[in-house]
Amino acid sequence: MVGVPEGLSTTLGPLILKHPVINASGTFDAMEAGRIIGDEFISDFPFAAYIPKTVTLNSRVGNDPPRLYETAAGLLNSIGLANRGIEAFISQDLPLLKTLPVPLIVSVAGERTEDYGRCARLLDEIDEVAAIELNISCPNVELDGMALGCDPDRTRKAVSLTREATSKFLIAKLTPNVTDIVALARAAVAGGADCLSMINTVHGMALHPRTLKPVLGHVTGGLSGPAVKPVALRAVYMVTGALDVPVIGMGGVTTAQDVLEFLAAGASAVAVGTANFRDPLIAESMVSGLRKLMDERGLGSVEKLIGIAHRP
Amino acid sequence: MAKPAPASLIEYPVVESRQVGAYRLISFVAREIAESAIPGQFLMVRQSGPSLDPLLPRPLGIHDIDADLVRILIEPVGKGTDDLARLRVGDRLSVLGPLGNGFDSGGGGMALLVGGGIGVAPLALLARSLTASGRDVHCLLGFRTRSQAVSAELFRDYLVEVFTEDASVGTRGLVSEPLSAYLSGNVGMKDKQAVEVFACGPDPMLREVARIASENGVRAQVSAAAHMACGIGACQGCVVRTTRGYQRACSEGPVFEAGELLW
Repeated sequence: MVGVPEGLSTTLGPLILKHPVINASGTFDAMEAGRIIGDEFISDFPFAAYIPKTVTLNSRVGNDPPRLYETAAGLLNSIGLANRGIEAFISQDLPLLKTLPVPLIVSVAGERTEDYGRCARLLDEIDEVAAIELNISCPNVELDGMALGCDPDRTRKAVSLTREATSKFLIAKLTPNVTDIVALARAAVAGGADCLSMINTVHGMALHPRTLKPVLGHVTGGLSGPAVKPVALRAVYMVTGALDVPVIGMGGVTTAQDVLEFLAAGASAVAVGTANFRDPLIAESMVSGLRKLMDERGLGSVEKLIGIAHRP
Repeated sequence: MAKPAPASLIEYPVVESRQVGAYRLISFVAREIAESAIPGQFLMVRQSGPSLDPLLPRPLGIHDIDADLVRILIEPVGKGTDDLARLRVGDRLSVLGPLGNGFDSGGGGMALLVGGGIGVAPLALLARSLTASGRDVHCLLGFRTRSQAVSAELFRDYLVEVFTEDASVGTRGLVSEPLSAYLSGNVGMKDKQAVEVFACGPDPMLREVARIASENGVRAQVSAAAHMACGIGACQGCVVRTTRGYQRACSEGPVFEAGELLW
């Protein structure tokens, strides 16, 4: 991105980001966007890091359509981790993604607990992969994934198997669909996670207004968008209050004010998801808007802003 | 299918907004879109401004282009389209596009355009483009009732037959019946390359169009509708079932060869 304002850089462990705004997995396709919007979009890439859509060990066709339904200030989806599998990702997508001018974070999900380690082992040898995000929280697959992400013991096991397989910076993406998200966060960190992403989507469903039958082909889905922001903000606040680990905050981030609030709640970086669907060019305006909002509050750097909500 | 040019997200003021029966016709000046759009491509459209409900833009086929003027036709069927249909002159639209793969109009011979309900929308630009390239265009437009059939006036420059389910306008019945008669009667077996079908409408209509075209050995291209979130290939939400597996309506479509779609 050309001309990132001063004072916005932030870090996630060894990853240095030019500013705190990245994309949420599955909501932005850099190569499609480059093809549709133009090549300059890639050289002026608006996100400070890029996370492609989650990949699994084997390819998945995804769930039956309809896969989307808009609700009040929100979006229900049940995509079902449609992807071509990690080998196709490495051979076909990675050569293009390596050309992006920002750190690459690869999101993986397992159909079985062992898959996380196997995927991580394949990615461990690839220099351009800056970090691995473990999607242990997708609500739309009838696999180990969701049950695993709801159970602290299994979460710890999946993360530790991955930890043994790679020395890459390891991010665990947590679900909000649990009673105690701090317990899950502790389990992920105990298993060896260096960083936490939160939140994935919130369980939900919609009925067709006329037929009164479930709208989604998969019946239930995950809710995202502004409707879930308070749920996400609480999760970030609770976990960063309890644990000393960097957090990527996400869930309904739509404006520069939202970015400001997630950082204030304790996140070290903020991911934009559903808002990309509203406006694929929104990240750039969020970054400039964040600088302006920080100036109005006399905050020189993101470092001073992070966690300000916790302080008296 | 015809290949798209780069798209951009731009705000435009509405310069024309009028009711056409049950539908709303809205126009804005957009040279970028007017110069590059291919018939059958679509736009992601929402009312400009900070309101988060509706949250996302709606995919709307480009209805027609007149010099720099771009027209969309809206059927209010839910919160998103209700709000768009209320836009008046001077209100602002945020528009991303043109998007997707349009109709391949590079063939020859007569073009049979088959539209159902709001699916007639993208056929006006197609009719204009095909007529300009010297092809005979014949439109078969089907509607439930009169309020929708009023939109047939938007096709007055072309040869049009109108069908309604309640016989309130034109001939009673579905467009599939005359299509079948047309292809089996008017076109001799040796002339099958001399006619092409282009269709947009509800799934049951498209399924019938695909079947009839296939039975008569005629090429048919159909524009498939799906709920979309991003419109640019990222979310994988708008997939339709095809002979090649799930394909994204926004990126591999919305126009498909009729024989590719599985119903």
